[in-house]
Amino acid sequence: MADEYKQITNFDRLIHEPSRLAIMAVLSACESADFTFLLNATGLSKGNLSAHLSKLRDAGYVNITKGFKGNYPHTTCALTKDGRRAFDAYRKQYLALAQHLKK
Amino acid sequence: MTTQPDIDALIRKTRQYEFVDGLRDLQMAAIMALLGAFAWFSLTLAGMHWYVQLILYLKDTFGSWARWINGLVYLLILFAVLGGSLWIMRVVRRKWLWRESGWVKPVRWQVPRRITVLSAVIMLGGVVLGLILLSTGKVDKSFVLRMLWTATGWGFGYTLIGMGREIGLRRYIWLGANGGLASTILLFLPLTFGQTAIVLNGAWALALGISGVIVLHRASTAIRQANHG
Repeated sequence: MADEYKQITNFDRLIHEPSRLAIMAVLSACESADFTFLLNATGLSKGNLSAHLSKLRDAGYVNITKGFKGNYPHTTCALTKDGRRAFDAYRKQYLALAQHLKK
Repeated sequence: MTTQPDIDALIRKTRQYEFVDGLRDLQMAAIMALLGAFAWFSLTLAGMHWYVQLILYLKDTFGSWARWINGLVYLLILFAVLGGSLWIMRVVRRKWLWRESGWVKPVRWQVPRRITVLSAVIMLGGVVLGLILLSTGKVDKSFVLRMLWTATGWGFGYTLIGMGREIGLRRYIWLGANGGLASTILLFLPLTFGQTAIVLNGAWALALGISGVIVLHRASTAIRQANHG
């Protein structure tokens, strides 16, 4: 059991938070996605999504590009190389723990 | 959000997003139709007076480069159709299909490398099989030429199956399996090399076109329903 605790405490806490994990999962499956798609895919509120994206950007996991599409503001998000690496590592750890617990 | 999200479902849904409006199917159909049209042109134009004149003019002007220039025209048309279709897709999605649901730039290579490699192996394997059968005297040369297209059909079918499995879209698995099997029929038809190319590309274009129209219709109905509450 101690082993499992150790594995859980080793998780990247920033990614492990459910909302941020959902954002990271969506962004890991594409090159970039806009704010509207992330809203629809994660089911978060605008404020929540914005706050979580800021945290991920501050950690260097996500790149946020603000621009315009026609006359409307358009925000695009993409995982950085560090972000992609961190998500892959998290996923591996998570799957390993899940397999361990199954046994 | 308090419980852990289903990571696999989120990843799958995001990857499927590029394909759920049917535009990719229509783009593939357009390219297949173009390849079929190239084969048809090569067959019919070769005998036409103005085409022969054009080739002779190119040969007189550019010498041995004429063949390459002729090929380059086909390549340029192919790239123009590819670029044009991507532009149309972008506009249609921005103005209509993805206006409410958001924009995603998909990963560049949707098909994993191992699937692409295996698809190439299948194509080569088909050709090698044809050559072996030819060397044993069981088939004639026209069979080997038809085998080139049949093997292409197998390879493309396998790519669709792999893509469908990777992304979790059953219509590609169905299309790939049936298209691949149907390509085999070409081997037993009394067709020339060019005719086989027209039939194969035309059939793929038709199948992908029908699939694209059905999926696009479903997507547009869903958008209409969402817009009307």
